[in-house]
Amino acid sequence: MESTVGPSRQVTLASTPETRRAKPITGGTMFRVGVMILFGLMFLYPIVALLLAPTRSESSMMHGGLAVGSWANVVYAWKQIMGFDSGMFLTWLKNTVVMVVGGAILAILLSIPTGYAMARLRFVGRNWLIFVTLLLMVMPNTVLTIPLFLEVSTVHLLNSFWPVIVIYGFYPFGVYLSFIHFKTALPMELIEAGRMDGLSELGIFFRIAVPLARQAVALVGFFGFVAGWTNFFLPYVLLPQTQTSPLAVGLLQMISSSQLVNPEEGLNVQLYMPELALAAVITMLPVMVIFIAAQRYLQRGAIMGAVKG
Amino acid sequence: MDASVLAERAPTSRKSRSIKGSAETLLLIAPYLIALLVAGALPAIYALIQSFTSPTTGGFAGFSNYLTVISNFRFFASFGDVGLLLLVWLPMMVIGVVGLSLLVDASRGKFGKLMLFVYYIPGALAGMTNFMLWLLILDPSVSPIKFFWQATGQSSIDSILASPMHVIWVLAAMLFYQGSGSWLLIVYGGLNSIPDEVIEAARIDGCSEWQLAWRIKLPMIAPWIGYLILMNFAYGFQIFLEPQVLATAAQGILSPQWSPNQLSYTYAYEVGNTGAAAAISVILLIITLALGVLIVTKTGLLERS
Repeated sequence: MESTVGPSRQVTLASTPETRRAKPITGGTMFRVGVMILFGLMFLYPIVALLLAPTRSESSMMHGGLAVGSWANVVYAWKQIMGFDSGMFLTWLKNTVVMVVGGAILAILLSIPTGYAMARLRFVGRNWLIFVTLLLMVMPNTVLTIPLFLEVSTVHLLNSFWPVIVIYGFYPFGVYLSFIHFKTALPMELIEAGRMDGLSELGIFFRIAVPLARQAVALVGFFGFVAGWTNFFLPYVLLPQTQTSPLAVGLLQMISSSQLVNPEEGLNVQLYMPELALAAVITMLPVMVIFIAAQRYLQRGAIMGAVKG
Repeated sequence: MDASVLAERAPTSRKSRSIKGSAETLLLIAPYLIALLVAGALPAIYALIQSFTSPTTGGFAGFSNYLTVISNFRFFASFGDVGLLLLVWLPMMVIGVVGLSLLVDASRGKFGKLMLFVYYIPGALAGMTNFMLWLLILDPSVSPIKFFWQATGQSSIDSILASPMHVIWVLAAMLFYQGSGSWLLIVYGGLNSIPDEVIEAARIDGCSEWQLAWRIKLPMIAPWIGYLILMNFAYGFQIFLEPQVLATAAQGILSPQWSPNQLSYTYAYEVGNTGAAAAISVILLIITLALGVLIVTKTGLLERS
């Protein structure tokens, strides 16, 4: 990336996508492609640095920049993570899976029938329910975290997974996704046909709507899972005990007790940047996989007008 | 709106059927309604009650909890800090996201798609992982941009964050890095929905690519930009994770009550003043509700539903 190679490299890169169409390379095109590649590098550089950090030794990290280390360093870092608080990391992982999968399943169970009813049935208060669902969907969930804490602590359920699962299961965006799905993918004629055949409303839902809901189930499951997995504030206040924490909260605990932040504390393991980076990368892996696999869906969901900041 | 709602209500067949049908409908939506009550309405109502309850006597406290909160020296300061952050971060989001999506939109073919994907990747970093990445960047001794910190004479994360304005920039960068990818998809989706005929007509009229972007595309995606601003505004002033963990990593540098939500958390957790914590929550809730109503009614979300 020295300045001497910079311009010439840019020109060759700039010309590739355009030459195929045999259009004259204008200054504007070069500028556009140059800016896009520059931003692309700026977006990728830090993430590559984070992914490479666990392969490097602490002394290699001191050189800064990027470097590929060895697998042995990753193994060493993993051993340090496992040594922290006698393998607490695995407990956090298990907690996260239980809470987040539980929440996502509940979100599916609540969203599919509600979305169907909102899209295809007429009932008193339907418009009101749609409005409230949209309202809650666009409001950041952090706004209710402290009120939820006050509620949950009053009924003495702090450090229990159940409130967290119920709160994750209450997922207005999922209801909205399911609502849009049934509105676009389930023709009214099918329902009318069901009524003609003498099916009850519940019969229509279970026999006609549910078999056609596969895509909505996947979407609500995907988004519900990601929303739960990435939530920090809620488990941070509802699950203050180390044993009940999910990964995100546990990671903060690792950082704050690491030698990086607390050099004086006599920790039994070495927690420096490579170890913490590995813990962070493992924490994000499931979301990363889903995010990339569901890009197409996210785009659709986004266009429908609902992705939180 | 009322007229269209009435018109939509198709005459149902037989009366008995509709009564039985509504019982079944209730069965379908009841679980969601219960969750809505327990996880949405109840905590809000409970916070409202608590905010008017004395945390010591348990009796009616009038506005004393609100007075406690407002007279806290961090109350207006935390709103000021968050306001400043929004002032830096929102333009960053608008210019960055709209600019990049216009560039992607102008690059048809594989190159544009590839770059869109590249911009999207950082969005996959969950809150804490994104923070860890920034901890790596902000530690001058191991940072991948070590050269930059050396050139600017920064030796530790504490020295970088010593200036309040640096904190703002760091937080804005963290939020932009994590948030821009998804929003790029949204705005790009908006650009994609512009009919090809409009673009072709403008080209035939002799529009250059610049004019096309500025005069045709930008006005046509205005609703998406409005949506972006309002949603991120609502999200940004609720910020908790980033300043909270930054304060942990750089101890004693950042106020633990940097944002209003952190102030509320401190009252709830460290001070144990539930009345004051509830009061801040209610204030935040009212602002967020107002923003939410604005988003739902003004950005066309309701009409599209």
